[in-house]
Amino acid sequence: MRLGWTATTNHLRVRSPRAYWDMLIALAMADLRDRYGRGPARAVKWLIDPYAVAGVYLIFVAFIVHRGGEAPGLSVACAVVPFQIFILAMMAAMRLIRERRSLILDLDFRRVLLPAAVTLTETLGFAASLSLLALMMAVYGIPPTVAALWLVPTVAVTLIFTLASSYPAMLFGVWFGRLIPFALSALRILYFLAPGVVALSQIHGTANELIRINPLTGIFEAYRDALLYGHAPHAWELLYPLAFALALLAVFLPIFRSEQRHLAKVA
Amino acid sequence: MTASISVRGLGVRFLFDSQRDLVTPMRAKLALRTSEAWGLRDLSLDIGPGEGVALIGATGSGKTTLLRVLAGVLPADEGEIRVEGRPGSMLSIDAGLLPTLTGRENAVLLTVLGGASRARAKRQLDAIRERSGLGDSFELPASSYSQGMCARLAFTAATECDPELILLDEVHEAFDHAFREVLEATAQQVLAGGGIVVAAGHDHEILSRLCPRALLISNGQIADDGPFEQVRQGYLGEDSPEPRHVEGIAR
Repeated sequence: MRLGWTATTNHLRVRSPRAYWDMLIALAMADLRDRYGRGPARAVKWLIDPYAVAGVYLIFVAFIVHRGGEAPGLSVACAVVPFQIFILAMMAAMRLIRERRSLILDLDFRRVLLPAAVTLTETLGFAASLSLLALMMAVYGIPPTVAALWLVPTVAVTLIFTLASSYPAMLFGVWFGRLIPFALSALRILYFLAPGVVALSQIHGTANELIRINPLTGIFEAYRDALLYGHAPHAWELLYPLAFALALLAVFLPIFRSEQRHLAKVA
Repeated sequence: MTASISVRGLGVRFLFDSQRDLVTPMRAKLALRTSEAWGLRDLSLDIGPGEGVALIGATGSGKTTLLRVLAGVLPADEGEIRVEGRPGSMLSIDAGLLPTLTGRENAVLLTVLGGASRARAKRQLDAIRERSGLGDSFELPASSYSQGMCARLAFTAATECDPELILLDEVHEAFDHAFREVLEATAQQVLAGGGIVVAAGHDHEILSRLCPRALLISNGQIADDGPFEQVRQGYLGEDSPEPRHVEGIAR
């Protein structure tokens, strides 16, 4: 007895990359309309959202709390901005099975596109939050240098890391839906187990070594190098999170592909 | 168009953890204790080109599960299934509609996920608006729609890509009389072209017009197969079996 499907069913029908791209865009557009609404107010909400989420905190650090260290507001922004896309994508991915229940139960499409669509949606929100970095540089009078070009690969690594993390996050939401609040709290702790509040250079001893295990450490420091210190990031700061992301994809993408067809049973 | 369905020994299994939550197979491996229930077991059937087939049976008998398997939404855990033809399915009243999106936006999403390109989906919007009869409501969020309006939009979007296989799960029962005529015309057109219509429901009048043949599903298996009226009489004459299975729990 042969198990499963023949290639003629819609589910396993081979589609062109263009068809997958169209589906990805359609899903991301649906997410975006959900979040930002429609009409002229959409652009305003897109721009204001990052300030509502992190801007107030950064203004507090920059203008009210006089902390030591170099441009503390910018230093914190270099961690907060990439962390926002990460944590927002994780939240959305964990809740995808519930949020997209009607699609999962009714339509035959590659569910592997769902976490990717979430990352794409968050990327657009992330683009707006980059203005926070420019604002903080202006506040501290730090002009951009050639090293700012390293922002491009740094952003790319941030997005790849977020995309790779969204697959285990969605699986966690499917497998352990009741534990999502605990998981999100645990993920938020990662911010404090990385140089989120203070730069890596201000952390000494064994803590400095241990904190590098967290892949977010490299990402946060790469933003600081490119924008605050004005030099190229150290290789490990980009390569370690990238390798971590590829390892996540290597492990969880096959698991996700195996599980995706069973999602309609548990949605 | 040469649609066909061939199913041999089909089984669909639902797994539960110790808290009676449905779990996926991988998650079940992580659980200390699991139990299982078969939504369908050892089910075989053949449907040829131009056939309209009704699925009748008590609630929880396995009709929805079978339709979802035919649509490719649920996998077969056992057996072999061969489905030839491009499906257009409506497996619930909301049929994949997202409540915050307008009718227009939902139509794009549904047709793209159904296999059309974004360009084609956008080209078809005017036709979908007209055929669905939603009028100005097409520009309003689906959350403001009645069940009948949701069903109209979803049916129109599902059938806009020239499906060869129409799968309907009770949703046609939400249609008003005017739109039932549209449904019947579309179904007859598909059947005349060698396509297949499989519809489940409890409104036997409309089912009999769409489907000359009926399958009585009971306890996840086919209890009877034959001309609609004969199977219907057998179903109504028998004692209603206990709904045994998981759909009630799952949904």
